Amino acid sequence: MFQVPKNALYKKISRRKFLELGGGTAVALGAGSLGVGLGSVITRRPVYASSSMEAKWRQYEGSKLVFMSENTPPSFAIRDNIKAFYDLTGIEVEILTDGLPTVQQKVGIDLRSGQADYQLNYVQDKPIGSPFADFYADLNDFSVDDTLPLDPQGYGDEVWFENYLDACGVYYERGPIRAFPYDCAVSCTFYRQDLFEKLTKDFEADYGYRMEFTDETTYKNMVDFTAFFKKMHERDASIPYGYAQHHGSFGWTTQLDIQRHMYAQNQWLDFAVDDTLGSKNPGPANWGDAQSVKAMEGYKALADVSHPDNLTNGTLELNTVYAAGGVAMQIQYHEFAASVEDSEQSVAAGGRTAYAMGPKGDPSWNADGSNNVVNATNCGIGGIGINAGASMDLQRAAFIFASWACSHETQLMVLQGVGGTPTRRSVLDLPEVKAARNRPTSMPNALTFEAVYDKGIRSPNMVLGPKLPKANEYHEIVRVGTQQCISGELSAQEACESVRDELNAIHGV
Amino acid sequence: MTITESERGIQDPSEYRGVRRIDHAPQIFNNQPARYYLMWLLLPAIILLAGISLYPFVWLIYMSLHEVQLAPGKSDLWAGFDNFSRLFSDKNFARGWLTLFKYSALCLSVEISLGVLVAVILNNSRLEKLFITIFLMPMMMAPVVAGFLYMFLYNGTFGWYFWLLRSLGVLDGGSILGNKFWAMFGVVATDVWQWTPLIALITLAGLKRVPQEQVEANMVDGAGPVRNFFSVALPNLYPFLLIAILLRFMDNFRFIDTILIMTGGGPANATKILPTYLFDVSFKFFELGRGAAIAFTLLLLTILLGLVLTKIFEDPTRKIKSNGGG
Repeated sequence: MFQVPKNALYKKISRRKFLELGGGTAVALGAGSLGVGLGSVITRRPVYASSSMEAKWRQYEGSKLVFMSENTPPSFAIRDNIKAFYDLTGIEVEILTDGLPTVQQKVGIDLRSGQADYQLNYVQDKPIGSPFADFYADLNDFSVDDTLPLDPQGYGDEVWFENYLDACGVYYERGPIRAFPYDCAVSCTFYRQDLFEKLTKDFEADYGYRMEFTDETTYKNMVDFTAFFKKMHERDASIPYGYAQHHGSFGWTTQLDIQRHMYAQNQWLDFAVDDTLGSKNPGPANWGDAQSVKAMEGYKALADVSHPDNLTNGTLELNTVYAAGGVAMQIQYHEFAASVEDSEQSVAAGGRTAYAMGPKGDPSWNADGSNNVVNATNCGIGGIGINAGASMDLQRAAFIFASWACSHETQLMVLQGVGGTPTRRSVLDLPEVKAARNRPTSMPNALTFEAVYDKGIRSPNMVLGPKLPKANEYHEIVRVGTQQCISGELSAQEACESVRDELNAIHGV
Repeated sequence: MTITESERGIQDPSEYRGVRRIDHAPQIFNNQPARYYLMWLLLPAIILLAGISLYPFVWLIYMSLHEVQLAPGKSDLWAGFDNFSRLFSDKNFARGWLTLFKYSALCLSVEISLGVLVAVILNNSRLEKLFITIFLMPMMMAPVVAGFLYMFLYNGTFGWYFWLLRSLGVLDGGSILGNKFWAMFGVVATDVWQWTPLIALITLAGLKRVPQEQVEANMVDGAGPVRNFFSVALPNLYPFLLIAILLRFMDNFRFIDTILIMTGGGPANATKILPTYLFDVSFKFFELGRGAAIAFTLLLLTILLGLVLTKIFEDPTRKIKSNGGG
């Protein structure tokens, strides 16, 4: 543009200088963005027991936390309403969600590394809580701290539904509480009432009894129902298959599925341990005993007449099959009622689906011939826990969020929104929630509440399943053994013995 | 009397042995100080490469000999060769190898056959560029996305491929990914769909290098297209096929994305190739020591098999030379 004289004071910036400046700027920007964007931030104002509630809520104003959670409705709802928490506390919470297997891996690496990048974790009781319990802070220390904004209802066992606090918060010893119940997925039966009513006469002609689903319906009845639907489907493709189990790639879902079936018969358990506590040394497995083999034979009989894709459907996929009209029955977790009742994504919506407890065991499948059979129900109680590797101030700020996320008000908000699964008893006592149990309802999950909260989780129906440090190996071993039996690779006896041998091997028995 | 090389007019003894000598570098780079200078220039790159490849390798060996604690403040425990000896009694390890060989052999044989066939058909055709661009599209897709795509295509409720196969009476009312037999073919088909284009691309590049005069001479001697392919094109393709096979073979030994997405190794471990089992052990069960031992065996065998493949696909013209032939 301009002619620069040779003796000008102006100097062109050298290439070296340019690179130095550019490099320096890039490093500064990179470090800054890493510090601000990815990590947590903590700022603190001193508070005292006598401080106002507002001061206690806002003591960490300007701080930032990261919550790693499963992609379940409560986390979506809380993420959608996170501004309410920010307005209340001034704390920014970044909620990251992913599928449970991925959450399990990310959380596991973070906890074990001691870095505490995720100060708040979704503690699904078996796959995350059991192997990583020792890495979570004891919430008892915070729940009696007067300088924190404590929940007026408290955090004791009595405010949660029975066994919930034990399931997700207690591991291997009484005392420390590792997580508060944040959401729960409890199994119950979803079935196509419209099809049952339409086809019951045909069924009765073949089987001699009515096709109805009641609290007395057994797994053996399920085999009959499923075989009947399969026969009808082969005649008329518009009629769905009867049933499908939970298998797929995530071991835990298969383990839960067979656990219900096994427990329904004689309340059979994998190990001689108290499931509310679990055990780091569970001892010899019960797999391979006469009862397990008998129950496995029943499970195989049901699989043989189930949907052909039986071995590929995980929990989510199974619900998709049901919502698409592919099966007439599924034992599913009650949080899925919201999607099943959504007429835009489900052909089973609009009163076509009814909900009941899980089927009862059948006395003829009891190895000892006893009548000890139950409507087995199991669950995944998702807790919210605090990474013990985080600094004390970060842990305190995280507790404020955990307490808010598990509060009565937040659970009601989630239930009214995308469909939550309350863990506090008080939420179900609200008149609007009681009214929502009947159609038409604005809270579709409430349609399952009778099957779940009034009956399913009550003793003796509820089976928590073993908490083991090697929970994920256990799930995988049970998954593979079960699938080997269903696919015909092994007999029921061989499969149960194979599972026993592998479980004993990992536990040094 | 012995005739010296200089008397025979040969200036450079290496030229006599048939080795062509090409001196690209000016003499100044070959003196001693210049070599030191070059060494210092190369040092950062060497350190970087060592950091990227050697450090993890050494760390892998360290982990395989320890019980890795993976907890803040806890030291790893010396395990000696326990992690390796445990592998001998681990039936999932043995089964993982067998499944891996089966999977890899199926993938490679179908991909090589199809890839070469596609390349031969496309070579010098009018629409070669258009078709090769279209065929390359699956390769551009992330394996995870390919896994999801095929998982949906195989789905028994709404999958198009499922519907197609069932309509043809192939599945007989069964499932693709839920059946032990079909699941393996399902994951192999996904790999074939995604990576056959790579083989076709490499082979096509090789076909361009086939000497036209040899082809023409062969035709003059009465050879047809098939004879021409096997007698002239294929021997010239060996180095290219070696590259293609090595790439795909090593990919099969390390890519687990599609299998993890589609089957997770199921049903009943039917598709649990060794790398999938390695993933489970390391990142589901957090047994990093045992995982490292598995990874070490995998690495070792990959190198050994790579060497074997290199030997098998050695350039036939070089084989002839080394045997003292023409």
